[in-house]
Amino acid sequence: MALRDISVTLTERRIAVIGSNGSGKSTFARMLNGLVAPSAGQVRVHGLDPARDAKQLRRRVGFIFSNPDAQIVMPTVAEDVAFSLRGQGLARGEVAERVAATLGTYGLGALADAPAHTLSGGQKQLLALAAILIRQPALIVADEPTALLDAANTRRIGAHLLDELAQQLVLVTHDMRLAARCDVVLRFEDGRMLECGDPGDVIAHYEREHA
Amino acid sequence: MIALYLPGTSPIHRMPAGPKMVAFMALTLAITLLARGVWALPAVFAVVVGGYLVAGLGMRDLLRQVMVVRWVMISMLVAQLVFLQPLVAVANTGRVLAVIVLAALVTLTTRIPDLLDTTERSLAPLRRFGVNPSGIGLLLAMTITAIPVIAGFAASIREAQRARGVPLRLGTFVVPLLVMALKHSDDLADALVARGVE
Repeated sequence: MALRDISVTLTERRIAVIGSNGSGKSTFARMLNGLVAPSAGQVRVHGLDPARDAKQLRRRVGFIFSNPDAQIVMPTVAEDVAFSLRGQGLARGEVAERVAATLGTYGLGALADAPAHTLSGGQKQLLALAAILIRQPALIVADEPTALLDAANTRRIGAHLLDELAQQLVLVTHDMRLAARCDVVLRFEDGRMLECGDPGDVIAHYEREHA
Repeated sequence: MIALYLPGTSPIHRMPAGPKMVAFMALTLAITLLARGVWALPAVFAVVVGGYLVAGLGMRDLLRQVMVVRWVMISMLVAQLVFLQPLVAVANTGRVLAVIVLAALVTLTTRIPDLLDTTERSLAPLRRFGVNPSGIGLLLAMTITAIPVIAGFAASIREAQRARGVPLRLGTFVVPLLVMALKHSDDLADALVARGVE
């Protein structure tokens, strides 16, 4: 999906991105950490160019995908979170401490040695969040993180992302209740950004057109 | 190497990954070069069984590893029977099975991060020749991690086919499994890049 005519500067803490399927939301999100490069124009994320400064940028931007299964790299919960700290020159003891603390924060402490693939969908997304946040990124981009989750897990993930996260958040979502809790909402359609503004207004326009 | 780690405190569990892999390679060489005849197979399997017992693993764990590769072993044996004497075919197949089951013992008793570290350290001298040790270590670790995921895809496909009354046929099973596995690997590649793996 090609994106075109997008010019926006986002400084708000909680940014929601909504739009129909195929409107370009995920492409936009993937540009923020360099997974997709623009063919024209400029993208700057916290002062960095995703095309030129990809390695540096990915240390500062954590990305959560909609499919929790595709984010698990290691066999157990603790090993998967610890994987995020590889290559940082930390001692084993320090890695173990940080992993234990992070798992505790997300209620996964008791599952540290459990096979990651046996977790529920919500637990897997919490694991993905823990694996991202242990690196202490400055920005989290979440591409439909609740798409495959039930209502209870959606509320749980939503609470972690919207109420507890210290980082800036870009949340791509079809869930208007989550979008409504953000500071600004961007609406995409056919590769274009139609609106950027107050959540109440943008969501109302979107729902009126898609009623 | 297709088995996932089973926690334990046996001497084999406590053995560092590096010496364990060296011991495995030494045993593989010994089995390949010294255990030529079919009469050596009982001794070979006695070593394999001994290894599982020392690791605190039961015959059920050993047999599970044999069952996973049974069709590959049967195909190998049948193919060899066309060209070789039966005893030679049995000896060859037996040796391969012993090595596979010993390899499983390594992964059953070694955590993946330790395997990863050992692989990276041992391949580090090859960096000057353009080899990427951390990439190879990660490939090994993720191959093992992917096994239950691919098994899950296979189960989903079979369930969906049963629900639609589709009989099990190679084409209608393998093609969707391949598509799902490739899609998964694409998604996993994106996730790895997002986690800073180049």
